Amino acid sequence: MKKLLAMLLVVLVTTSILFAAGAAEKTVATEKPVTLKVANYALLESGYEQFWKNVKVGFEAQNPNITIEWVTAPYGEIVNQVVNMAGGGDKVDVIFGEIDWVPGLVDTGLAAPIRDILPPEFVNDFYPDVLKSFEVNGQPYGIPLYVSPYVLYYNKDLFKQAGLDPNTPPKTYTEMLSYAEKLSKLKDANGNKVYAFGQTTASVPVSGASLNAMVFNFGGQVLDAQGKLSVDNQGFKDAISMVQLLDQKGYNPQNAKLKDLRNLFALGQLAMYYDQSWGFNGVKSINAKAVDFTASAEPLKGGSGSGESLLQAHCFILMDNGKARTAALSKFVQYVISTDVLNDYLRDLTPAYPAKNSMASMESVVNNGILKGASPAAGRVRVQTFIPQISTLNLELCSLAQAVTVGKQDVSSAIEKFKASATVKISQ
Amino acid sequence: MKPKPLSSKRSDTLFSLLLDLPAFLLLLSFIVVPIVDSVIKSFQAYGVKNIITKKPGVWNDFANYLYLFKTDDFVGATLHTFSFVIGVVLVQFLLAILLALILNSNIRGARFMRSVMMTPWVVPTVISALIWMWLFQPQYGLLKYLVSLVTFGHLSDFAILNNPSTALTGVGVAALWKQIPLMTLLLLAGLQNVPQDISEAAMIDGAGKIRRFFSIILPYLSPVIKVSVSMSIIENFKQFPLFWTMTGGGPNNSTTTLAVLSYREAFVGMNLGSGAAITTLWMLMMIAVIFGYNKLFRVQEM
Repeated sequence: MKKLLAMLLVVLVTTSILFAAGAAEKTVATEKPVTLKVANYALLESGYEQFWKNVKVGFEAQNPNITIEWVTAPYGEIVNQVVNMAGGGDKVDVIFGEIDWVPGLVDTGLAAPIRDILPPEFVNDFYPDVLKSFEVNGQPYGIPLYVSPYVLYYNKDLFKQAGLDPNTPPKTYTEMLSYAEKLSKLKDANGNKVYAFGQTTASVPVSGASLNAMVFNFGGQVLDAQGKLSVDNQGFKDAISMVQLLDQKGYNPQNAKLKDLRNLFALGQLAMYYDQSWGFNGVKSINAKAVDFTASAEPLKGGSGSGESLLQAHCFILMDNGKARTAALSKFVQYVISTDVLNDYLRDLTPAYPAKNSMASMESVVNNGILKGASPAAGRVRVQTFIPQISTLNLELCSLAQAVTVGKQDVSSAIEKFKASATVKISQ
Repeated sequence: MKPKPLSSKRSDTLFSLLLDLPAFLLLLSFIVVPIVDSVIKSFQAYGVKNIITKKPGVWNDFANYLYLFKTDDFVGATLHTFSFVIGVVLVQFLLAILLALILNSNIRGARFMRSVMMTPWVVPTVISALIWMWLFQPQYGLLKYLVSLVTFGHLSDFAILNNPSTALTGVGVAALWKQIPLMTLLLLAGLQNVPQDISEAAMIDGAGKIRRFFSIILPYLSPVIKVSVSMSIIENFKQFPLFWTMTGGGPNNSTTTLAVLSYREAFVGMNLGSGAAITTLWMLMMIAVIFGYNKLFRVQEM
């Protein structure tokens, strides 16, 4: 009897362990109510949680039959989370993320063309150039909430301390270097070094995107229109040489992530740096007084370039989960990308530019003091060709920047090595 | 006709097999099947799209393996992995045995030290990585400040994780901080099982401390050393969170280990086939290392 009981126990424990993890969530099919699964890393980031909670409350109040279910994971893990869920047969309806995530999600077959889900009158209100940045094979696969080029944030107080006019930021890299010479002699209140200029080079894809924007500043390119590696151009070489020069002069904090630059800027240890416009929220969350000393300027012109930059956007990438859910999704997207919802957000949390005509005169955009200086740059962005391996390419760009800075390699040989490695990786 | 009752021996055998069943099924489901699946995928063109569309991968004539040798990444990652394992395991063993000997010597406060010493071991690895990343932070990290203070300002830009030639050491320091407590505890347990009478007899015979350590303590400790060092080799061979959190494989790929490279291939590049090829070769290397280690350090029966 004891043995029989022991055997039963063994069988019970085994089956429960084996099958508990794989238990699928069953949903009762109902007629009208729809649950939208929205993947959103921002809910885990300080400052953004309340906004998204309000979005849920406001949207559900307007649409009683639709329930928003958040799917969250940290920024760096949310795409994997969405892919893993889809692999298990549980596809989310939309992911809030970066424009750079679009090609990868299109390649996996998850992203759906926005025109299949959203009404033409809504889509046609977006700036055509902006929508073009989301195209894969002629179809846009993401819809931006707001956009921004990489803007130059600078500290007006440090400019004053260095004897520079805080209302005249540099316009070219040459000017920036002369400013940097004065700024780099400053110390903060605690005697810490003040870095003159910040350009992220850490080993994360977004740093690669920022380096790509710098190449555009110099009139260069990384990929051609067909998505092939194309770095045999002076602009590319000039940009990488500038990264090296900034390091040699000790102006740029080595191997820094954008969040490191935001920290330093907030603490008054960095005079100028490139960031996505919404990066200012990170600065403000560290030092609320940063509003008083921060101003923005257009991306710098370098070499024969005209200071063009790379379009960055926070966007919705949509997925097709059948008629009922896509109809609800369409309502959700239209609800969020509206003046009513985004006005306070763009004013108080995330300085950025609207992506559609009807939002151009929003109070939060017109009266945004922080973004005023950089505004002319909003129309000077270049479309980066989408390839599925864009994140891999961006990481290779970071390695190149590190090779010529902390790696102390010569620019030409580092570029040759980069070409050999990147060509193999993006052709895989 | 009545079925013939099982003999007591057969019944016991059957019963023991049934008791083994859960472990066997768990091993099969969660270890053997995923490994075999990963090895199969390493020979296929297999991306995230295959998971989503449920389409099987396609045999690609060893393309995933050939791809690994088209750049320096795989060879570099292998070298970094081995350097890290050898360095961390050696230093860890030396420091752990030193600590274990100190704690076994009945010094005052030994019990308190044993409890405090375990703290890093219970801290999750990612948290350890974040702690050390901030300590090493090149602009406002504590270590930078201390180094500047000790060197009277001569070395004011100490940034161990920013220098390709020292970054691996930086991650190694974090790994040692996290792992030394466990090895110390295991060795301490082993030390407490060394028979005192033999040690005392050797002392009466005139053996000094060093002689007793090498001729009595170390041989008695060898089974524990073998197990704890094996555990450390495996732990550091597959180390991922410390690298990913602290350096992401940089600067200039100087901390890109096999773990980091496989993750990048599979989940950044979304190429699960080449990611699986790296993990397959990585697993074979780990098996070879552990096999070689076991062969080299056969435990003598005491």
